Amino acid sequence: MHIAEGFLPAGHAAGWTIAAAPFVVHGARAVVREVRENPGSTLLLGAAGAFTFVLSAVKLPSVTGSSSHPTGTGPGAILFRPPVMALLGTVVLLFQALLLAHGGLTTLGANAFAFAVVGPWTGYAAYRLTRAAGAGLMPAVFAGVALADLATYVTTSFQLALAFPDAESGLVGGLLKFLGVFAVTQIPLAIGEGLLGVLLFRVLTVNARPELERLGVLKPAEPVTPGGAA
Amino acid sequence: MTGLAVDDAAWASAWRRRAPGDKMLLCGGLVVTALVLPAWPGSALVGAVVVALALGPARVPARTFLRAARWPAAFIAVGAVTAVVEVGGGGGPGWAPDAAARAGSLVGHALAGSAAVLLLATTTPMSDLLPALRRARVPDAVVEVASVVYRLLFVLLGSLHTIREAQTARMGYSSVARSYRSSGALAAAVLTRSWDRARRMQEGLAGRGMETGLRVLPEVLPSSWAFLAGSVAGPAAIVVASSVAT
Repeated sequence: MHIAEGFLPAGHAAGWTIAAAPFVVHGARAVVREVRENPGSTLLLGAAGAFTFVLSAVKLPSVTGSSSHPTGTGPGAILFRPPVMALLGTVVLLFQALLLAHGGLTTLGANAFAFAVVGPWTGYAAYRLTRAAGAGLMPAVFAGVALADLATYVTTSFQLALAFPDAESGLVGGLLKFLGVFAVTQIPLAIGEGLLGVLLFRVLTVNARPELERLGVLKPAEPVTPGGAA
Repeated sequence: MTGLAVDDAAWASAWRRRAPGDKMLLCGGLVVTALVLPAWPGSALVGAVVVALALGPARVPARTFLRAARWPAAFIAVGAVTAVVEVGGGGGPGWAPDAAARAGSLVGHALAGSAAVLLLATTTPMSDLLPALRRARVPDAVVEVASVVYRLLFVLLGSLHTIREAQTARMGYSSVARSYRSSGALAAAVLTRSWDRARRMQEGLAGRGMETGLRVLPEVLPSSWAFLAGSVAGPAAIVVASSVAT
């Protein structure tokens, strides 16, 4: 769910761009530092961005009988950390605007704040907290991926409510309106994306364990249990 | 064919050989004009000019343009209706007093702006736009990562379609539970393939002595004074026409 080009008033579009800028610049600095230390990581980071874009093309069955598309930032935040995802998510949003007509250019800042900043940071915090509470990898992945999706949807609804508050009840009424309308698709999608994340990591722990260890998701000798503490 | 209709249209467009900076000036001007002018007649004029340019001189297929506009149109319709519904009154939800005018204004701004972005997208391949980021002083490392994203995503989309086709042939999407299992395996396969491909590319480039960036010679497309003049005069004429009409 990206805000379309021209939907936000100019002042709001500029304000959200300013709000997203420090996070994206921080991510860009992290990428520049990583590439300077290890030039080969350009290709791995590019692969991570391409994967996030392509994940949005995976169709998930929806409760309404149709299909939905995941955001892809939750798995990215767990695998590559939120600062990198702030930049990669913004690059993916730019590509979605210019290759799929999803989102826009003046609304890029607002969409980046929801999709590339709030979503990944919320998802990563949920993942870390769940792990710290003693849960296994899979419950933590479910919490991280589902909450990254939910946080993106709540933030986008807030941005829309701020731009178009309810005539009678103001910001709160506007927020309830947008949350209610988009909940029909976004809450099932968040749960579905959480399940997809679990299935993705289950396959990765078998087929790509060295990569998960290199990225710090698994410790070298850590066993993977379906639900309990690892 | 790359698998993305908008990208295919950009490579086949009659404006493909025009300088990216010229097209960015035109489309950027139209986006700003659509955003800041009153929806009637400003955004309506922008929308009409964009459609005429896309289907006329730029020769973008009408079907591609309309199909690409479906997704933003769906968001705009749902968002605009939600924005003009009132929920705070005592009698339950109802329309705001100026609902039709506000919804019309929102839809006008957003459709015209989206169409202007789509004009840029369907006439300019991403590989022409990325060097502009370098000229805008975006760090080389970031532009290179974005370039790799662009080059890899078509390979990964190809893998995605091939694997999904094979899964479908094996009844992988015959029930909801199987669909989720197949989608998880599909995402994992695409991710591991992307890592594998990146690693092999890295080894190949390292073997050829790559130590700095993935430098390539950018294609230089000549700028046209007539096009630039039209890019400034067109939005200016819309501003004048809108001012006269209001």
